[in-house]
Amino acid sequence: LSSVRHSFWSNVAAVAYKEATIMRHDRALIAVIFLQPLMMILLFGLALSNKPRNVPWVVLDESRTATSRRLVEEIYLTGYFLPHQPVASYDEGRGRLARGAALAFLVIPQQFDRELQRGRPRVQLLVDGSDPLSAARVSGSIAQVAAELELRPEAQSHWPGASLREKSGIRTTGIDIRQRFWFNHTLLDRNFFLTALAGMLLTNMCLSVTSLGLVAERETGTYEQMLSLPTTPLEIVLGKLVPYVALSYLVLAFTTLAAGVFFGVWPRGSYLALVVVTLPFVLASLGIGVFVSTLARTSAQAVFITVFFILPSFVLSGVLFPYQLMPPGVREIGGLFPLRWYQIALRRIVARGGGLGDVAFPAMALVGLFALMLTLIRWRMRPRLG
Amino acid sequence: MRREVQATFRDPFTVTTLIAVPLAALLVFGFVLATDVKHMALGVHDQSDSSASRRLIADLAAQEAFRPTRYATREALDRGLVSGEIGVALVIPPDFDRALHDFVIGGPPPEIQVIYDGGEAVLAGNAEGFLRGLVAASSASLIAEEGASSRRTAGAGGEAPSGSMAPASGPGRPGVEVVMRALFNPRLEGKPFMVSGTFGFVLSFLTVLLTAVSIVNEKLTGTFEQLQVTPATSVEILLGKILPLGGVFALDVVLMVLVAGFVLGVWPSGSVFFFVAVSSFYVLISLALGLIISATSATAAEAVQKTVLLSIPLVQLSGFAFPIRNMPTIVRWASEVFPATHYIRVSRAIYIRGEGPIPLLPELAMLVFFGVILMAYALRSIEARA
Repeated sequence: LSSVRHSFWSNVAAVAYKEATIMRHDRALIAVIFLQPLMMILLFGLALSNKPRNVPWVVLDESRTATSRRLVEEIYLTGYFLPHQPVASYDEGRGRLARGAALAFLVIPQQFDRELQRGRPRVQLLVDGSDPLSAARVSGSIAQVAAELELRPEAQSHWPGASLREKSGIRTTGIDIRQRFWFNHTLLDRNFFLTALAGMLLTNMCLSVTSLGLVAERETGTYEQMLSLPTTPLEIVLGKLVPYVALSYLVLAFTTLAAGVFFGVWPRGSYLALVVVTLPFVLASLGIGVFVSTLARTSAQAVFITVFFILPSFVLSGVLFPYQLMPPGVREIGGLFPLRWYQIALRRIVARGGGLGDVAFPAMALVGLFALMLTLIRWRMRPRLG
Repeated sequence: MRREVQATFRDPFTVTTLIAVPLAALLVFGFVLATDVKHMALGVHDQSDSSASRRLIADLAAQEAFRPTRYATREALDRGLVSGEIGVALVIPPDFDRALHDFVIGGPPPEIQVIYDGGEAVLAGNAEGFLRGLVAASSASLIAEEGASSRRTAGAGGEAPSGSMAPASGPGRPGVEVVMRALFNPRLEGKPFMVSGTFGFVLSFLTVLLTAVSIVNEKLTGTFEQLQVTPATSVEILLGKILPLGGVFALDVVLMVLVAGFVLGVWPSGSVFFFVAVSSFYVLISLALGLIISATSATAAEAVQKTVLLSIPLVQLSGFAFPIRNMPTIVRWASEVFPATHYIRVSRAIYIRGEGPIPLLPELAMLVFFGVILMAYALRSIEARA
């Protein structure tokens, strides 16, 4: 039995060596492996963000008081906005919103001054809801600035420490909320994306490279040649996967290093946990790649099926949009993709400084998905071998 | 020409992909953008354990935005944040009850401490606004009751906020109340934004990929060379090649409009015919891009890698999921040279704001400009090979 096992692993190693040699000479592959991480890091590090910036807005100030001007000024100082454009009439402001030339339209009515005297001033805010996340953030920050606007500064400070509180800018009426954002103090979207970036890249690589590679080999007949050798299909598949696992760790190291060096996003938690939890994820993703290759007859088909897997795994896993807010059903479907569990693990380790114990559950889920993929692959391969 | 149409439709796999992938993309993207919070795990460390603190916690749980769990110690609460068990932590200090009482008789407001998991940047950003609104509403009623019980009127009773967007202007406290209304999308739902953007994603990425791969495939099998020795000119070959694909993509647009309407409840506010017409023209741009990529690729795998490398920035920087406005200036300029940017703008304008052709003329002109250039270039790349 031991000699059988010995030949099993040496066969796997032989196939792995052959694969690695081919990979070293594949220039396009090398390009994908290094260009893609670089491009994604630049995109998510520099360009993409949910945080509103350069928001065009218009103001109709019918009251023309010092307080209304101060309100407009304070809103501008939040940093979300471009300098405001004054409009002369309500219709003009509505028109700008309808054309998409402004995202928000603040109306300070004529009776603002009178309401100010009575202590309950109101303003109207119209926002363009077509981009709901921006609309929510922009209107939220305007409402907050307005609620905190000191109308008569001298009447405010009837308790000590009030002015200090105003400066911290964190206050609601009645109960003061002292709030902090842990792990990402300024709520940078960049950190959110970069934390899970390795997951996106590894999904891309593991799925597309294996599925395309295996189908291409079948098309050129290499696979059949290998089947005629004294190696079993399982040995071939495992041997093929070994270099990809090594490559995955290379990509992980490269991504972690680049995110750290360029953007200061270093893993806060255990590097050991990072290495450990990556293995079942890579294996499960490679498993999907192999499974796709068993479904596809041509490389064109392999491409489409791969896209069919990659697209929902990016969208539903939570790397780009928080999965916690997805409707029930959709959220559970996302749990079928390895990327969901890997991104949960990555956020625990990289963002929150977790260790092995914190990622035990996601790791188990990944092992489970890998086992599922192995079962599916065996089921798909059986008829061909019989 | 007829040969091509037949070839495209003979392969059931291709037809399935052509129809299933765009629809799947639509459904997947349709569900993922949310501006609210639901059932978010909230850890509470209630040091005060008074009737007032229990009321506050009950109020936070009432609207199903938060699901509170009690933690006995501060350490356990922090641990919950690190492990990702909870997304928000609330600490109510021991003297909360007394501070509330003091506030009513003119003292400083009571304080609570809130810690968000900033690692989930979007979620924390949404939750902040919600929590602020709920605490403001709850504190207004707490203070009103406290005031009544201590036989002191604490100003006019605050009105409860109607939603998260309208923070309460509390009793007796200055500040400007903002009456907010969102045009085009009053409930700030994510679906219209994502649906109108997904057309851009599908027609800029999937169609380019499908075109490139299927034409490279033909080149590999030699069908293309056979065609070139026939008396047909390269323009005829080109049209014969891409028109069937273009027809299917145009059909996809119609199907997507129907699925978005019937399944997701999102119909265009503007003219459906105008939308389909613009989209069909945009399909030509994608076909041209696909042709150019296929002409410069030797294998299907190479075509895929090129398409992916080209499309990731193209799609991401076109404002499909992340607003262009939020990007750095240089990136914003760069995004203007992507046809996808202009198409997505037009798509959103028609779908959400119900815009007609006249205000969109500049964007449409850009699309025509890109269309002419890319078609001419695609033609040249085909002729060069003849």
